[in-house]
Amino acid sequence: MTEGVVTGGWGFVWAAYTVTAAALFLYGVTLITRLREEKSRVSRMRESQ
Amino acid sequence: MNETTVNGSPRTLGRALPGIVLLAIAGYFGFVVALAQYHGTTLSFGLATGAQAGIAAMLGVLGAVYFLVADRLSSAPKYAYGLIGLGLLCLLVGSYYGLFVAPPETYMGQVQRIMYVHVPSAWNAMLGLTFAFVCAVVFLFKTDWEWDSRMEGAIEVSVVLAFLLCCQGSIWAKPTWGVWWDWDPRLTTTAVLLFAFLGILALRKFVEDPMKRAIWSSVATIIAYVDVPIVYFSVKWWNSLHQQPSNPGTVSKQFYLPLRMNAFGILFLMTGFIMLRARIAQLRLEQELAPPPVDEAQAGEGIEAYGEAV
Repeated sequence: MTEGVVTGGWGFVWAAYTVTAAALFLYGVTLITRLREEKSRVSRMRESQ
Repeated sequence: MNETTVNGSPRTLGRALPGIVLLAIAGYFGFVVALAQYHGTTLSFGLATGAQAGIAAMLGVLGAVYFLVADRLSSAPKYAYGLIGLGLLCLLVGSYYGLFVAPPETYMGQVQRIMYVHVPSAWNAMLGLTFAFVCAVVFLFKTDWEWDSRMEGAIEVSVVLAFLLCCQGSIWAKPTWGVWWDWDPRLTTTAVLLFAFLGILALRKFVEDPMKRAIWSSVATIIAYVDVPIVYFSVKWWNSLHQQPSNPGTVSKQFYLPLRMNAFGILFLMTGFIMLRARIAQLRLEQELAPPPVDEAQAGEGIEAYGEAV
């Protein structure tokens, strides 16, 4: 920091964007995986009935 | 037996049209006008910046809510994937402008670019929790299982956004405040919010009876939601390191475009995620409420009973 002005800081910017992208991507993948699993469980259940 | 006959009416594009129109108008005032302004063209029909932002925010939220509640959850995934794709596109464009086109802020320099993901995460986490609150109230009045599933979806997705909010805020705090975390009113109330709703998700895992689970978590959601306005007003009520809420009058025009693009991007993504997560909750509930397979006649009666319950 120089005279009240933050200098540099690109590392923090990339860290924030990377954390955001990674978290949203991974969460999205888990949702799709969980949805497929539940759908196949329900199909099996309906078949058994 | 297919999903359409069990859970809802046949789906058409026409059913989604009101939502698409609302989102299109919101997108126009939210970022087409801002993009044109950025490149020196005026497309705002003489509306002030505050009015444009207000229209965009209101119609954007209405469009998202339309997709969330207008139809049965069995139809949710096909719209959810479209919204997620649109959200990713907005996030890519918004982040490109935020990282490479928008100028650095006078005092915070490059670090201010974190705002373009931090503020949209905050807005949308609060919106998601507000939707969860509405779902909780509607469930308690109507006892419709779809609202219980929507509430579960909204809480989980909002908790992910609130967690991201805390991570982004911490990364921004280090170069500007000199610390990763401070027990400041805004940060503390946000942490309380995150853990309160995490607790509600844990409660839903531990309670096996679906009705008790739905009622208890609805009541807990209504109580925990009290913290949302406290988070918003914390910077006004108490001395805080955190800045006051921004509005179009306090944000430079050069920052509008990436902020709005990312806000819409996360809104669309969150809406799609809630729809998928709510469908997962509904499918799990279907398994819980279904009778154990005995013989064919009894199984048929069980499915009919489930149809009435869900």
